[in-house]
This record gives sequence, C-alpha cells and structure tokens, in this order.
Amino acid sequence: MKGANPLMPALLLVVLAACSPGPRDRNEEASPKRPGKPLMVIITPSHDNPFFKAEAEAAAARAIELNYETLVLTHDDDANKQDQLVDTAIARKAAAIILDNAGADASIAAVGKAKANGIPCFLIDREINVTGIALAQIVSNNYQGATLAGQEFVRLMGEEGKYAELVGRESDTNAWIRSKGFHDVIDRYPGMRLATRQGANWSQTEGFQKMETIIQAHPDLKGVIAGNDTMAVGAAAALKAAGNSRVIVVGFDGSPDAIAAIKAGRMQATALQPAVRIARMAVEQADMYLKTGSTGQPEKQSVNCELVTPENADRYGLFGPK
Amino acid sequence: MRHGLAAEWQTRFSAAVLFRLRALVALAGLIVVFSILSPAFLTTGNLVILAKHVAINAILAVGMTFVILSGGIDLSVGSVAGLAGMIAGALIHRGLVLPMFGVVVYFHVWLILLMALAAGALIGAVNGLLVSRFRVAPFIATLGMLYMARGLALLSSNGATFPNLAGDPELGNTGFPLLGAATVAGIPLPVWLMILIGAGGAFLAAKTPFGRHVYAVGGKERAAELSGVPVKRVKLMVYMISGVCSATAGLIIASQLVAAHPATGETFELNAIAAVVLGGTSLMGGKGAMGGTIIGASVIGVLSDGLVLLGVSEFWQIVIKGVVIVLAVVADQLQLRF
Repeated sequence: MKGANPLMPALLLVVLAACSPGPRDRNEEASPKRPGKPLMVIITPSHDNPFFKAEAEAAAARAIELNYETLVLTHDDDANKQDQLVDTAIARKAAAIILDNAGADASIAAVGKAKANGIPCFLIDREINVTGIALAQIVSNNYQGATLAGQEFVRLMGEEGKYAELVGRESDTNAWIRSKGFHDVIDRYPGMRLATRQGANWSQTEGFQKMETIIQAHPDLKGVIAGNDTMAVGAAAALKAAGNSRVIVVGFDGSPDAIAAIKAGRMQATALQPAVRIARMAVEQADMYLKTGSTGQPEKQSVNCELVTPENADRYGLFGPK
Repeated sequence: MRHGLAAEWQTRFSAAVLFRLRALVALAGLIVVFSILSPAFLTTGNLVILAKHVAINAILAVGMTFVILSGGIDLSVGSVAGLAGMIAGALIHRGLVLPMFGVVVYFHVWLILLMALAAGALIGAVNGLLVSRFRVAPFIATLGMLYMARGLALLSSNGATFPNLAGDPELGNTGFPLLGAATVAGIPLPVWLMILIGAGGAFLAAKTPFGRHVYAVGGKERAAELSGVPVKRVKLMVYMISGVCSATAGLIIASQLVAAHPATGETFELNAIAAVVLGGTSLMGGKGAMGGTIIGASVIGVLSDGLVLLGVSEFWQIVIKGVVIVLAVVADQLQLRF
C-alpha cells in the first residue's frame, strides 16, 4: 500500500487547484486599510448560503461606493461568535455595524453592547425582540412573500387538488411564518387538500428524498409548496428523475438555482426576498445617520417580496431585479 | 437431566440467535407494520426508491464498518461526500485550469469520477496517517478532517452550488446524471453499487487476510502487533476505504440532484455510525459483520421513509429514530453478557 499510490498527492493538488476560485482580487474580508476612511463592519451568517453572501457583498459594495472602509465577517448563526465579532468591531472603532443577527433574543446583548460603545447597529433580514437599541431593523416581509407564493400556487393548481408542503427547520421563526402565510391563503379554498406536510430541514438532499417518497404515497399529487428554494429545487429534481412533469413546484427565496429552474420549466414560481435592496438600504441609512444624526426612517421597516414566474424570471438576478 | 440440559441449551441458543439477528427481526417488524399502515409501502415503486435512499447511507456505512471494526471512528464521511460532489461539479463546470500552460482541460466523466474517488482515498490516507503514524485519536483526527473537507468544499465554489451537472456535449463531458438515474434490469445504479460495495466489503472483511487483520487490530491492537499484523498499514487502509466509500456516496447524491451543493452530507456521519451500530458492530472494535451494517442501514431507511409515507410529524420522526438507535446500543451492551 505504501508505495502503491505515489501519484495521489499530486492528483489531489491538481484537483484542488481546479477547484480554487481563481485570483481573489475582490477579497472583501480584508480590505487594505486606507487611513481616514470610517469603517463599516458587515456581519452575516455563513456565506455557504448564497442569500447571505449576496446581502454581505451588496452591503460592502454600497459602503465602498459611499467611501467607507469595510470589514465583512460571518457568525455562522452562533450568538457567542457574533458577540466576539461585535467586540472586534468595537476594538476597530467601527463607525457602524450592518448585522444579519444570530437570533432574535440571543443578539440583544451584542447589539446593546455596540450601542453602549457608541456604535450604531443597522439590522437586516432578521429582527430582534426589542426596539430602541438598533437604529434600524429592515427585513423582508416573509409573511407577505408567503401569501404571494400561496396565491400563485392556488392559481396554478386551479384552486383544487392534492398538494404537499415541505417545511424548513421547524424551530426557525421563518419556517413557521412562511408556512402560516401559505396556509392563510391556501386554506381559504376548500378544494385544496393538504396530502402531507413534511420537514426537510432547508436541505436539497432531504427535499429530494422526501419528495421521492411522497409521490409514492400520493401518486395523484398535483403540487408541492416549499418553505425555501433549496428544498423546492431538490423536490423538482426528484420529480424530474421520476419523469413527472405535471406536479407544480413553488418555492421561497428567489435563489439563483430556483430562478434557473423556473426558466427551465422545472419550477413554476418563487417569492423573491429583496436581500440586495435591503442591504443597500441599511448602508444608505447608516451613512445618512452618520452624516445627519438621523436615518429619517422608522426603526422597523419591512420590504415586500416579489413573485418570480416564468414570464418575469429573466428580469431577476442575484436576490434582486437585474 | 441430560434432556433438560439440552432443552435449556436449545432455548438459550435460539434466544441468542434471535438476539444476534435482532436487526433483521427489527427490519422485518418495521416492514410488516408499515405494510399494514400504508398501502403504498409494499409496492415495487416504493421499494425501489427506498433501496435508493438506503444505498447512500449503506455505502457510507460499509466504509465506516471497516473503521469501527479496527477500533477507530470516521467523523469526516459527510464532509468528504460533500467535497467529492463539489470536485465533480467543479471539473464539469470549470474544467481543470492549468495556469502554467494557460489552458483549461475538460475531462471525460469517467475520469472525473475517478479523480473525485482518488480525492476521497487521499483524504482517507491523511486520516489514516494521522491515526497510525502520528497517533492522533481517531475521533480528533477525523473531526479535524470533517472541518477541513467541509471548508474545502465551500472554498471550491466560494459557497455557491454548481447547478446543472448535465455537462456540455461540445466539451465531451456529458453523462454524469446517469450515475444516480440510470437503471440496470429495473434497479437503479446506486442500488447496484450498494450491492457491489456491500458484497465486496463483506468478502474483504470475512474472507481475506486483510479482513482478519482488521478484526485483530480492533480486538487487541498490541497482541495483533506482536503477532506480526501490519497494524499501521491496516489502519491506513481502513480510512482509505472509508474515504472512497464517502466519495462514492457524495457522487451519487450530486448526480441525483444534478447539482453539487457544498453543504451536502452534513450529519451523514451520524446516520452511518447509527447503521453500523444497529447492525451489531461493536463501537469498541473487533466485533461485527458487514451484513449487519446493510441491515442496519435498511432499518434506518425503512423507518424514515415509512414515517414520511404515513405523514408522521418531523418531530416524532426524530424522536423515533433516536429511540431505535438507543435501543440498539442497549442491545449491544446486553449482547456482551450472552
């Protein structure tokens, strides 16, 4: 065995080289320090979800346009790590923090600490359960988005038939709000019959496997509505593998994968969260606040989701209109 | 008197046999229960899909069985599965960039599969070297690899998904989706792979000197070493086998989804360990068999698919799965007293 595979280390190096993303000229994680420019710290969950990556990059791009230095950090949904990142921001004497927080209750202390140290926080995407410590809390209206997706789903189903629902991690607030939004619309139509409601953990693999099993139990299924696009794309792949092209698939998020699936006819609709717009709004309000002492807006702001369908899919890019 | 003793022996013996076959008994019981509760369960279509779902966990678990038999553990299997899918995705989408020659090479799908499997073997070799040469505890070495492989998977695409792995006829790299979707004699390719890998694993474990060595190392490492078993090489091999099995599972998933997602395979290690333990392999090493592992993976698969068919709430599914695993470990402890 010892001498059997002398080529392997070389092979892996080659393979990894193929996988590396190329020259990282836009390395936002460590912008060179330009003295004199105020620092805007942008903290979001892990970038393995393109949604958070898009919002962090949009915020950083807008901040650089407005002549700020930026520092982009991720907290991986860990409130403790978030707390340490806020300490970093305080130590670096940040002018403002743009934060997609790690928990409605668990983040209150961190935001309060920043405020106590004179750093204003602008929350995006998720709220915290207290007002008066953040300068702004700008979120997409998950409930409105879910009713939008629900309405389109009912229309596509012709107001009747058997459907399945894939829910996200049920302990997440958004999984619950989206499901409620779907049902507040769908349950008004007596012809719409819920065949099964299954958790798929926001995951593509689970969405795929659960869907394969669901169509076994319910061969007459007419549609599936999913709490996020990752699960919806997984379900669509399962339907395609089964040679089933008549089941309607509706998701939530407006991810690039879902928009591609809608264009290809594998999905029918999704509710797009305007993450890019929200991130830019937060940076602009932070800039306004630093210059004038006021954002000119109420603290709690909610931005409506938009419906993406085959007719308008061409007009949408990464979590926003092109 | 003699007669009584024989009868007693017979009862004890059959109880022991039944006990040894507990995973099979549990599997049969679950199949009966779900067949009664859901008319959709015992249909050809559902059984084929069930087998496909079992295949992924079973393939991971075959590799895991070798590692556990040798007295180790491999926590990196899920991350390696995710990384293998990403390597295939990157090679299909971006090709291999050779900056020193200024060219991009696109490979045939066979070569892409081979390179992803080789990467799995290499990661396994690193695990094996850490455990055998550097004497790092397997739990720690493979926990580190869990993070490293996941990080590399995320880096490979900067966190994005490689969508549409169908390939491009112009580049000559089409055909990847067949791995997950093709059927031979009405049975999906992933199921054939499970049968092949399971049978190969069983043969390797039970009928070859290498297999004997794995049991010996897991049973009593020092004694094995003194009797001339190449302990270090055996350990290196078991982690390499596990790496290749993980990469295979990851490639199947990417092929089925026709997309490679960097978070694929999170918590797979737990399902694989559960399958091994359910199959009666002792976490202490040295004791167990491959057949049990396949049955263990089937128990988990039947349980999760059956509960979905019945529309049982996600929360109850998690609780029930936990109960089954705990019962299996309790049974494992009881077995020691037989």
